[in-house]
Amino acid sequence: MINITGTVVNYYVHCKRQCYLFYNKIEMEDESELVRIGRALHEEKETEEIAIENIKLDKMKGDYLIELKKSDADLDAAKAQLLYYLYILKNKGIVKKGKIEVVEKNKQNHKVIEVLLDEQNENYLKKMLTDIEELLEKNKVPKVEKDKKCKKCAYYPYCYI
Amino acid sequence: MRRLRTSTRVIMSMGTLERKDNSLCFKGEGKKVYIPVENTKEIYALQEINLNSKLFGLLAKHGIILHIFDYYCNYCGSFYPREKHISGKLTIEQVGCYHKYKEKIAKRIVSGIGKNIYEVLYHYYRHGKQELKEYLDWLALKVDERLEECVTINDIMAVEGEIWSKFYNSFQYFLNPDFIMNKRVKRPPDNPINALISFGNSVLYTKTISQLYQTQLDPSISFLHSPAERRLSLSLDLSEVFKPIIVFKTIFECINNRRLSVEKHFRKKYNYCLLNDDGKQIFLTELFLRMEETFLNPKLNKTMSYLTAIKYDGYKLIKFILEGEEFYPFNIKEKI
Repeated sequence: MINITGTVVNYYVHCKRQCYLFYNKIEMEDESELVRIGRALHEEKETEEIAIENIKLDKMKGDYLIELKKSDADLDAAKAQLLYYLYILKNKGIVKKGKIEVVEKNKQNHKVIEVLLDEQNENYLKKMLTDIEELLEKNKVPKVEKDKKCKKCAYYPYCYI
Repeated sequence: MRRLRTSTRVIMSMGTLERKDNSLCFKGEGKKVYIPVENTKEIYALQEINLNSKLFGLLAKHGIILHIFDYYCNYCGSFYPREKHISGKLTIEQVGCYHKYKEKIAKRIVSGIGKNIYEVLYHYYRHGKQELKEYLDWLALKVDERLEECVTINDIMAVEGEIWSKFYNSFQYFLNPDFIMNKRVKRPPDNPINALISFGNSVLYTKTISQLYQTQLDPSISFLHSPAERRLSLSLDLSEVFKPIIVFKTIFECINNRRLSVEKHFRKKYNYCLLNDDGKQIFLTELFLRMEETFLNPKLNKTMSYLTAIKYDGYKLIKFILEGEEFYPFNIKEKI
């Protein structure tokens, strides 16, 4: 059984290799300063993590499910992660809207981004979930992408050594 | 107790190490020394100390590794907080790799030892020690050739043995005559240089354990050394190529710069030879400083220390195991 968490979805959009390695417990996040900052921010913002099955939600407030991110470096990945949470909640009969709160905005003008699970997004997500399962069932590590985003990744020394 | 600037703490005197609220406290010789947990990753206990299980709880919580040595500088073992990093997939593949590729990895390690010894000795050759030329040429030209002919691990270990024994023989050309060794003697070492080698290698071994602890590799499945050695033998494998550049370079410098002398820093009793407390302190400090020395890795374009280089050798091994990427251990000349 493939056990998809929010992080797996996020990483799949960000980098397939990272997704595959993380899923197979080759984790490097402990040593990354950026990841540590992200964790500290979660503590500071006092998110009350709610765990449902294999997902962990940062915060629920009224109609909104809120996901906290350190930076807006990869919003597409964050959006996919949030859509996945909304989708799981919807399957349990809880309909919510999503909000991404960014602490450091570097690329966007807004600090808060709304995400809705409409039909289009739901189809996009379902397709992605099948693709993720297919990737994770294979016995093959995806190749390094060689992109400038790699420099900031916790896996950088592993991929490039 | 000596405090290095680093995250390693060394306990040199007898006493009690205990948990004091949420911090560590060492009580010995009528003094209390507090050890902050935040910036501590490893503790070396080089003397008999008292411990209790409450302490282990605190060490485990902060992921601090405790290495224990006995009075004779023999390594007894480590307290190794419960594994954080386990990847079932990697472990399975690592075992598979042992069956299929152990000879290949073992050859690369032995070849790596030769290359790093070459670099260490080339320094002395360049400074006029012509006698080293024969051995250096043998390392550069013959070792890889010899390794290619090897079929079994025993053949490979024979080449390794030859590399080391020729290396020990070469000491007579550049070391202070007080320290010249007749032959390598272990457990217990019988002369000062053997004592330094044994102690230095044990410390490097423990440091490698700590580095491997940060990866998902299973430390008991090794390739060059037999996994049946009842030790974390992958640490023995990965520490090999670092011995010339960390342990031996430190030994040569301590001796040739007269930091260590036979009369002042060793005790000879019965047939053993042991470092005394001053000697241990000097040698260990130099060893740790060397491990934390940094250089630029041209491939990652990042500065890193030798300790990180050990961990990155672990990464290379993971990449070989999971992805089939060629494994070459750390090479001091190329710094990768």
